[in-house]
Formats: sequence, structure tokens, C-alpha cells
Amino acid sequence: MARIFDRDTLLDLTVNVIPLGIILFFVVAFVLVDPFGGLDFYGRVLQMGLLVFPFVALAILTYVSGKAIAGDEKRSPVFFQGQATMEGAQTRHEAEADIEAADEAAAAATAEAEAEAEADATDDDADPDTTDEE
Amino acid sequence: METTGQLLLTVLMGAFLLGVAAFLARVEDWRSYTPLGAGGGAVGESGYGHAEKPAGLIRWFTTVDHKDIGLLYGLYATIAFVVGGLMVMLMRAELTTPATDVLGSATFYNSLLTSHGITMLFLFGTPIIAAFANYLVPLIIGADDMAFPRINAIAFWLLPPAALLIWAGFFPIPEVIPAQTAWTMYTPLSAGVGNGNQMNVGVDLMLLGLHLSGVSATMGAINFIATIFTERAEEVTWANLDIFSWTILTQSGLILFAFPLLGSALVMLLLDRNFATTFFAVEGGGPILWQHLFWFFGHPEVYILVLPPMGIVSYVLPRFSGRKLFGFKFVVYSTLAIGVLSFGVWAHHMFATGIDPRLRASFMAVSLAIAIPSAVKTFNWITTMWNGKLRLTAPMLFCIGFVSNFIIGGVTGVFLASIPVDLVLHDTYYVVGHFHYIVMGAITFAGMAGIYYWFPLVTGRWYQRTLAKAHFWLWMIGTNVTFFAMVLLGYGGMPRRYATFLPQFATLHQIATLGAFMLLVGGVIWVYNIYVSWIEGPHVQSGDPWRLDETSLNTAEWDWFDAKRETSLAATDGGEEVKADGGEVVDGAPADDAADDE
Ligand code: HEM
Ligand SMILES: [Cu+2]
Repeated sequence: MARIFDRDTLLDLTVNVIPLGIILFFVVAFVLVDPFGGLDFYGRVLQMGLLVFPFVALAILTYVSGKAIAGDEKRSPVFFQGQATMEGAQTRHEAEADIEAADEAAAAATAEAEAEAEADATDDDADPDTTDEE
Repeated sequence: METTGQLLLTVLMGAFLLGVAAFLARVEDWRSYTPLGAGGGAVGESGYGHAEKPAGLIRWFTTVDHKDIGLLYGLYATIAFVVGGLMVMLMRAELTTPATDVLGSATFYNSLLTSHGITMLFLFGTPIIAAFANYLVPLIIGADDMAFPRINAIAFWLLPPAALLIWAGFFPIPEVIPAQTAWTMYTPLSAGVGNGNQMNVGVDLMLLGLHLSGVSATMGAINFIATIFTERAEEVTWANLDIFSWTILTQSGLILFAFPLLGSALVMLLLDRNFATTFFAVEGGGPILWQHLFWFFGHPEVYILVLPPMGIVSYVLPRFSGRKLFGFKFVVYSTLAIGVLSFGVWAHHMFATGIDPRLRASFMAVSLAIAIPSAVKTFNWITTMWNGKLRLTAPMLFCIGFVSNFIIGGVTGVFLASIPVDLVLHDTYYVVGHFHYIVMGAITFAGMAGIYYWFPLVTGRWYQRTLAKAHFWLWMIGTNVTFFAMVLLGYGGMPRRYATFLPQFATLHQIATLGAFMLLVGGVIWVYNIYVSWIEGPHVQSGDPWRLDETSLNTAEWDWFDAKRETSLAATDGGEEVKADGGEVVDGAPADDAADDE
């Protein structure tokens, strides 16, 4: 269980935690502030029920769907949407590895370029148009 | 006298139906169908000129192929869209002057208003989504067909009679008049109480038609749920399910809970009308009961309509941004969150009815909470486009239009969700502006994005891109002119659902009508373009007409299309269709650069 709900999954689930938080906020607010205290108790129960029910339902659905999705992510290869049945499609893992490799290469390239640019700038700073560009 | 006539009619009808059954039994060898697994995998299955399919009209009346049924849904929705659109054009014409100078009768205006709303929501909105879902979901998730192909066909064939019933009042049938209840069918008006004319059988027919469309939607929903749960290819795990299928799954769940409830409420209303029950009578359950039941269905219904279009945009927009969808899983989880929360907000349509203020407060709270998942999606679309390599093709333009209009529609909605604001704006044109930004500006725009995007997939041809762009700009400007004018009218206090108005609202009403005519012109261009291009548009030149492979954004349905093209190119003994596919050079048409669609 703890393995399925790791940091990444919890981060994905924050989208649903925010509405849960909003509902919770109103539950607390309505408990503390009750300008309609003179009215019947039944309405008060309904008022809370209308907040508690969606809260619980959303919490359950978030848990169940998170378990299904994150579980499948761990059990089998993950593709980008709509590509799973395509021949020779890259998995997300492979794509990320590619991007990282490309990033590293690019970083190395920019480091070099920057070093050169700096060297240029020292003897050429009379031309702010080109140096400001970066 | 009268009973004899009715008996005669019944007998005639029975004979007619028997005749139809006999005819069908003769023309079709029903046993030849082995819908499940007939084609052996999503790839290479079926396509046009399929040997097992009967030719001509019979094919369309007997098909159980998910793609054919998808096309039928699409045709049906298009017809309904044209009907509903023409109805509203009459209304907008009426609203160019403060008095009822154009139509001459406020009653007729009310009939059009009712029918426009119901037609657009139930006969255009739900079916156009079913069209995409039927055609695409099995292809994308690698299923051979829908889980229950025949139920799929039945669900569709319930719709034409539903439309006839809903429109019955407009047909020249003596004694039958159209319903004037508005799409919300509030009691006591819709219960036929009082001295009005809403006890007319036309209203009953409309309610029955609505009920039938609900049965159809429910059958479709069960089918989609079963298909997505059980018919996915092995590789398509929950983590790999695409966003469009996710939204269809969620939508189907909503339909499953919402539509049977509408059906029950409609039956109760019919009982009140015809059998003197008192479900919604003041001395019985009360008119507010209707509103609770209706909106417990009605609010989920608006999300039933908006979730799949959101799915289409989430699916198509990244393809023309040169990017994967940003925060894919955020979009999935927020779709599910919307699904659940949409059942907890219904009474925000009833803030002004005098229900217990504490209940109002709770409904406001959940309505604010549901805005978050919608906003999350919006940010994801914007972030996907941010610094992307945008290709402003027709489908992309409609996607961007969707996002833009959805923001205005959503923000106006959040204001309405606040009780004090709603008490001022309720039942004004502001509300009409709010939901039209969504139903027209967002849902219909996403539908158009989908139609243009998958047009090559379905027809193997290109649409005319200049016309498509004219369509987009006319609609983008027309939508904003029309519905922003309505937002302003609402601020001014113009109440909704009236054929007449005070002279001070004339200018804004005329502006709204001007915008509506832009929408009409755009719509005519769209129909013409689709029709002509379907018949004689230039053939696409590759299995990847949008050149998605270049950015590794290709998807399964285009893979299927590619495979289908290749098999039909290879089959030299094929039918005419095949020859045309092979005939690469079509009248020197610029099919190649159509792929750029710039
Ligand atoms: C961002 C979330 C949304 C919120 C907070 C919201 C809020 C509201 C509220 C409070 C009303 C009632 C106004 C009144 O009658 O006084 C309303 C009306 C309406 N909304 Fe929304 N809305 C949202 C999104 C949507 C969406 C996505 C759709 C459509 C797909 C939609 C369609 C409608 C319709 C059809 C009505 C009018 C119903 C009628 O009275 O005929 N809304 N909305
Ligand atoms: Cu609502």
C-alpha cells in the first residue's frame, strides 16, 4: 500500500485534495458560525450531510482511482495517452530517459556557448544589443 | 365513433409493424452476424465495402458496427442541431423588436424556446458525444467493438422516435400543440394545472420522448462502462487509458445515476397529469419536489455534456501543441472529482426558491469546490500550449476557442454559485449568457474540433480549410457577440424566457441577434464544407495526415487508419472505394499541403 501511494502519486492526488479542503473549510466555518441557530435541528443535519456526503464520496473515489492508476503504473509499462496499443510506441520511461539525455547534452552545449559568449562579451561589450539577448 | 377510429389505427399500426418485421427477416440473414471478434483485433477490422455488410440503406438500418452507429449518431445530432438552430434563429429574429412583431405570438415563441433547449441538450448534445465515443473509444482502447453491439444499435434507434415525440406539437396534427414549459418543465405549469393550455397531449408526448431519449442514453452508458472495463486491450491498463475514454467512462457513470432519476420524475409528472396523483401538487409533494428531482438530474446533466468535450480538447489540443498533455493525471483525477461533486450541487439552481438558508450555504460550498477541478483543467490546457509549437489548424483553433469560452462560462458560473450574487442575477439573461458560453462556446466548439480533427480518419478525405477557418472565426466572434450581450442584458435586469422586453434593452438584443446570424452563416458554411468534402474532398496522402509521428504524438486510431489504408491499397481486387484510395493524384488537388492546414 505504502508503495502504491508514494510521493509522486500523492502529488498527483493533490488536485482532489484541494476541493476536499474547501469542503472541509466550510464544514468548520458552518460549525463555528451558525446565524440560523433558531431553526430546527433537522436542517442542521441536512446542512452538514450535504457537505459530508460529497466529501466522503470524493475521498473514496480518489483513493480507489489512485490505487487503480498508480497500481497499474507499477505493474506494467506506462505509455502516453492513446499510444499503448501502437507498435513501437515509446514508454514514458524511455521518453523521459531520452529527454534527460538530451537535456544533459544541451546543458553541456550551453555551458560551452556561455563560456564563449562571456569571452566575447569582454572584448565586445560596446554592443549591448547582442549581449542583452541572453 | 372515436374508439372505432382508434381501434382501426391500432390494428393498422400492428399490421405495419408485422410487415416491417417480415421485411427485415427476409432481407437479412441475422445469423450471419458475429459481431464480437469478427474482425480479429481493432486493426484490419471492417472498414467500408466490408464483404459481410449488406449494401445500401439496409446496411445502415441493420448495422451493429460501432463505427457505423457512431456515424448514425453523428448524422442524427447534425439534423437535431440544424433544427434547434433554426428554431433559435426564429426566436432571435423575434427579439429584434420589443413587441412580438416578427412571430406575432408569444405562445409560439415559448414553444420554440422549450423545443430549442430540449433539442439541443438531448437530441444534439448527448448524441454528438455518443457519435465520437462509439466511433473512437473501441479504436483507441483496442477493443473489437462495443461490449454489446446490438444494445448499441437499439440505443441509437430509440432516438428517432424520441425526436418525433418531442417535436410532435409542431407537426400539423389537430389538437396537439407544442409544450411551452421550458426545458426545466417546472410544475405546476408542466402539470397542466390552471387555465393555461399545458394540459395538452403535446406536452405528454414531449415528456414521453424525453423519457425515451433517457432510456437510450442509459443503454449507451451501460455499454460504454462495460466496454471500457472489460474490452480494453491488454496493454491499455488504467494508467494507459486515454483522457477521452476517461471522460466517457465518467460521463457514463453520471448518466447511469442521473437519467433513471429523470425518467422516474417524468413518470411521476405524467401520473400527475393523467392520473390525478399529487406528487408535485401543492397539497401533495409540492412544486419544489420537482425542482429537487429535476436538478438532481439537471446539474449532472450539464457535466454529462461538458466532460467528453473536455476529453476531446485534452486529446486533440496537445497534438497541435507539439507536446504531451501537461499534467495528464491531474486531468484524469479532476475529471473523476467533477463526476462525484456534480451530484452535490443541484440546489444552486434553486437559491431563489426560499429553501432553508443553511442548505443553500452547503450547496454554495460544494459549487465553489467543483470549480477547482475545472480550473485545474484549464490551467493544464494553457500550460500545454505555453511555449509549444502551435499549429493553428481548424481543430486547434476550435480547441483554443473552447478554452477561451470555457473560461468566461466558468467564471460567470462561479459568480452565480455565490448566493447573494445569484439572488440578483437569477432568471436573468446573465444565466443564459453563462450557460451558452459553455454549451455553445465550449461544448459545441469541442465537437467541431473533433469533427475536423477526425474528418480524415472517417472519410479518408480533407475538408476545405479556408471554409473551416471562416467557420471558426464567424463562430468565435458570433459566440462572443451574442452571449456577452446576454451577460450585459442580465446585468441590466432583463429577465429570461420572454418574447417581449422593455425598449431600453433593444440595442443589446439586436446585437445578440447580429451575433446569432454570424453563427448561422458559420453553421451553413460548416454543413456545406462537410457535405461537399465528404463527397469530393481531396484524398489524404498518408496514414498520418496530421503528421503526428514527427512529434511522437501519433495515437492508436490513426494507426488503425494507416493499417486500413494499407490493406485497401494492397487489395487490388477491391471495390471502387479502393481504387479511389489508390489513385494518389486526385485532379491535382493540393492534398499534400492540406496536411499543413496552416
Ligand atoms: C464552473 C462551474 C460552474 C458553476 C459554479 C456553475 C454555476 C451555475 C449556477 C449557480 C447556475 C444557476 C443560475 C440561476 O439560475 O440562477 C447555473 C446555471 C446553469 N449552468 Fe452553470 N455552472 C458551472 C458550470 C456549468 C457547466 C460546465 C455547464 C454546462 C455544461 C453549465 C450549464 C448551466 C446551465 C444549462 C444553467 C441554466 C439552467 C437553467 O436554469 O435553465 N454550467 N450554473
Ligand atoms: Cu448547476
